[in-house]
Amino acid sequence: MNFWLLLVIQVVVMLALVLTFSLVVIYVELKAGSHMQGRIGPYYAGGKYGWAAPLADAAKFLQKEDLAPAKADRTVFGLAPYVVMMSTLAVFVVIPLGPDLVVVNLDLGVYFVLAISSLSVLGVLMAGWSSANKYSLLGGLRAAAQLIAYELPLVLAVLAVVIQAGTMSLNGIVEAQNDVWFTVGSFDVSLPFIFRGQIIGFVIFMIAAVAELSRIPFDMPIAESELTMGYLTEYSGIRFTMFFLGEYASLIGLSAIAATIFLGGYGFPGVSGDMANYLGPFILFGKIAILAFFIIWIRWTWPRVREDQLQSLAWTWLIPIALANIFVIAVLKVVL
Amino acid sequence: MTDQPTTAEADESTELSALEQYASDLTDRLGATGYDVEFDTVRVFVELDKWVETIVAAREDLELFSWLSAIDWSKTTEVGEGVADPDSLVERFEVLCRLSSVREHNADAAIFVAVLDRSEPSIASLTEFIGGAAWHEREAHEMFGIDFVGNDNLIPLYLPDAFVGNPLLKSYPLIAREVKPWPGDVDVEPMPEPDQEPAADGGAS
Amino acid sequence: MMHRSEVAVSVELQTPDMTINIGPQHPSTHGVLRLIANLDGERIRDVEPVIGYMHRGYEKLSEVRTYAQITALVNRIDWVSGFANEVPFILGVEKLLGIEVPERAQWIRLILSELARISSHLVFMSSYPLELGATTPLMHTLREREYVLELIESVTGGRFHPNFTRVGGVKPNYGGGSQTKKQSMDLPAGFFKQTLETMDRVDQICDDLDTLVTGNEVIMMRTQGVGVIPADKALEYGLTGPNLRASGVDYDLRRDDPYLTYDQIDFNVVTRDTGDCYARYVVRQDEIRESANIIRQAIDMIPAGPLMAKVPRVLKAPPGQVYTRAENPKGEFGYYLVSEGGKMPYRLKIRSTSFSNLTILPWILPGQLVPDLVAILGSLDFVLGDVDR
Repeated sequence: MNFWLLLVIQVVVMLALVLTFSLVVIYVELKAGSHMQGRIGPYYAGGKYGWAAPLADAAKFLQKEDLAPAKADRTVFGLAPYVVMMSTLAVFVVIPLGPDLVVVNLDLGVYFVLAISSLSVLGVLMAGWSSANKYSLLGGLRAAAQLIAYELPLVLAVLAVVIQAGTMSLNGIVEAQNDVWFTVGSFDVSLPFIFRGQIIGFVIFMIAAVAELSRIPFDMPIAESELTMGYLTEYSGIRFTMFFLGEYASLIGLSAIAATIFLGGYGFPGVSGDMANYLGPFILFGKIAILAFFIIWIRWTWPRVREDQLQSLAWTWLIPIALANIFVIAVLKVVL
Repeated sequence: MTDQPTTAEADESTELSALEQYASDLTDRLGATGYDVEFDTVRVFVELDKWVETIVAAREDLELFSWLSAIDWSKTTEVGEGVADPDSLVERFEVLCRLSSVREHNADAAIFVAVLDRSEPSIASLTEFIGGAAWHEREAHEMFGIDFVGNDNLIPLYLPDAFVGNPLLKSYPLIAREVKPWPGDVDVEPMPEPDQEPAADGGAS
Repeated sequence: MMHRSEVAVSVELQTPDMTINIGPQHPSTHGVLRLIANLDGERIRDVEPVIGYMHRGYEKLSEVRTYAQITALVNRIDWVSGFANEVPFILGVEKLLGIEVPERAQWIRLILSELARISSHLVFMSSYPLELGATTPLMHTLREREYVLELIESVTGGRFHPNFTRVGGVKPNYGGGSQTKKQSMDLPAGFFKQTLETMDRVDQICDDLDTLVTGNEVIMMRTQGVGVIPADKALEYGLTGPNLRASGVDYDLRRDDPYLTYDQIDFNVVTRDTGDCYARYVVRQDEIRESANIIRQAIDMIPAGPLMAKVPRVLKAPPGQVYTRAENPKGEFGYYLVSEGGKMPYRLKIRSTSFSNLTILPWILPGQLVPDLVAILGSLDFVLGDVDR
C-alpha cells in the first residue's frame, strides 16, 4: 500500500481511538466522582446511566458563540488551544498497541514523547497572556512555573527506565519487559519494570504526571476557587473544547506512557506472538484505565497544594529522589 | 476590681448592687464623670477631652473591644416614635464604646459614653490605640456625620458613592415610607387567649 | 544628549505591581465582598476591603418596627444560623419588660440555638475545604446539614429563617381547627427521638471529616502557620467566637456570661493556642461535637410546661437602655436596645459578629500570598449579611 495512505489511515484510527477513549474517561470522571461524593451524576443524557453526557457536552460547546475579549491578542488567543492539542495528540503516534500496531516505531520514541509533550507549556502561556485578564495572567504564570518544574522529575523517572531497558524506543522497552527475567523450573517469569525495581520511579512519574496535567492536587493554574479557571477563564466554545479534550487526551497519553514503560504495555503473561496483536490494544487500554482511575480518584479526594509548596515538592524532594533512583538503577544494571 | 462575681445564685438586690459597686469602682478608677446601671448594663460617662485616655486605661482590664457607635438624641423625628418627652430632652449625640473582659467566668463589661455637641460633633479617634475601631468609626461617621479626629480613612463604608446625607440621623426620612405610607397598627394583632379560638387565617400574621 | 558612558542603569529589577479586584463576584468570598488588592507577583502588598453591597439598613428599619416585627427582620442578618440571631434581641426585650420566661421555652430556645450552631459550622466545614480545592467534603457535609435543617423546620416551620421566638417564650403552634390546636401546642411528636438520631449522624460526619480533611497532609500544609492572629491583636480588633478561641483566649459567653439555661449544662469550651487557620478549623469541628453533647443533655433535662408567658397585648417596653449578647456560631452577637417607652425602639444597635471579625483584614492580609488569602478569608467564617446588616 502507498506509504502515505497507510500513514494517514493509521493516524486517523489512532486519533479516533484516543478521542473516543477521552470521552469515556470524561464520563468515568463525572460518574465515579459523583458516586464518591454521594451524588448520582449524569442521569438523563442517553438513557439510563447518562452515558451520552460527554457527547452532549461536546455538542453544546461546538454550537456556542465564538467569544474573545476585546483587548485580547486574537492570533495568539486563537492559536493557543491548538498548540496544546497538537502537542498532546502527537504523543500517540509512537505508543505501541501491539508488537506491530504502532504508527511509527521511532528509535527515539521516549525522547520524542517527552520533547513534544513539553510544548504544551507554550500553549498555556499563550493562553494566559493573550486573554487580557489579570486572573488569566496569574494562572498562566503559575502554570509556566509548575509545568517547567515538573518536567524534570518526569524526564528523570523515564531516564531510569531507559537505562534499565537499554533502548529509547517504546517498542523496545515493552519487549525488554517481556523478556524472560528468570525461570522458575520450566516456567518463564517476565515482570514489568515496576516490579523490577522501578517502583520509586513509577511513583515519581505519576506525581509528575498529575502535576503536568494541572489536576488537583496540583491545579494551581486553574484553581477554580481562586482564579475561576485561571488561564482558561476567557475561553468558550470550540476553543474550550480543544483545551478540555486536550486535558483528557493528555491524561490518557501520560497514562499510556506510564503503562508502556512501567507496567509492560501490551504485554501480559501468557500472551505472545500473533495473539499479542489482537489482544494487545485491550491489555494496554485496561492498564491505562486503571491508571486513569487512580488519577481521577485522587482528584476528588485531595485539596490543592499551594504554588510554593508545589515547587518545593518538585525541587527539594522529587528531583533528588529521581536522581538517586537513576544512580541506583545504573549501578544495578552494570553490576547485575 | 470587684471580687463579687455576678452569679445566678445571688438574689436580685445584691446582684444589682454588686454591679453598681463595680460601676462605681470603675468610674473612680478611670476618673470618669458618672455612671448608670440599669437592666444589667453598665454605662460610664466620660468627658469628651479624656475619651482616648479613659478607653485606653480601661482596656488594661476590659481587653475586648466590642463595638463603637452613636445615638442621635433629637426632639423631632422623621421616622418612628421619637423620645417620650421631647421638651425636657437635651439634644446631643452620644458616642458609645463597649469594652468587655475575656477572663474566665467573668462577665465584666462597660459601655463608655461621651456626649457630643449637636452642632459640631467631633471626637478624637481611637484608631491609634485600637486598630479595630477604624471601621466602626467609619460607620458612625457616615451614618451620623460625626467627625473622628485622627482617623484618616473616613470614607463611606456601606453607602454608595453617590449617596448624600447621614441616614441614621433622626431627621433623615425613610424613603420607603415616603413612597408607600405606613398602614398603621392594622397588622399588629394581640395574642389569642389560651382558650380562645384562633383567627380564621390561623394567626398567620 | 548624554554620552553612553554617562548613562546610569538601575541595578534593581523593576517589577510593577498589579492591582486586581477580588470580588464582588468570586467563588471564595462568601458573598459580595470586594477586595482591591495590590499584588507584587503573588504576594499582596496592600488590600482594601470594600463592603456594603448587602447593606439593608437594619438599624434604621428597626426604628419603625414593633418588637414582634423586628424578630422577623432580624433572622436575616446571619442567614446561615437563622435562629441564633433572634435570641439576644428577645432576651433584651424581655429584660426591659421584666417578663419571666417559662423553663420549657428557654430549653427549647437552647436546643434550637445549638442546632443553629451545628448548622452554621457544618456550612463552614463544607465550604472551607472546597476553597482549598477538596471537592468531596462539600457534598457529604451538606447532606448531613439537611437532617439538621429538617429538624429545625419540623419545629419552627422555616429552615433558614425560623422566626420562632416571641416575647415571653416561643411560638406555640396553632393551626386551623381545634383538633390541630390540641395536638400541636407543643413540639412535634417524635422530635426528641429524631434529634438524637440526627446527633449521631452529626458525630459520624465529624469522624468522617476527621479522616478525610483534618488529618490530610495537604490541608495541614495549606493551613498550619497561615494567617496567625495573636491573642492581643484578636482582642484589639474585636474578634470573638471560634476565631478568638483559636488564638488561645478561653472565653465563651455560654459559660462566662450565661443566658437561657446554659448554666445548668456541662460542656467544654474548645480552645487552641496557635491562632492559625488550622486552629480555627479544628475549633469549629470540635464545637460541633460539643453542641451535639449539649443537645443530648438538654433533651434529658427539659421540663414540661407552657411555652409562653402571659404578655400584654400591645408590647410597650419601658424606657431604658439594655445590651444583651449571645454566643452565636460566629462569635458574640449583641443588641443595644434604646427604648423610650414606645412600641418601637428608639435605637437598635446591632453588634454583628462578622463585621467585627472582618475588621482584622487590613492588618492580616498584607504580605500573604493569594492562595493564603483564600484560606484566611475562609477560616474567619463570615457571612456578608452579618457584615453589612
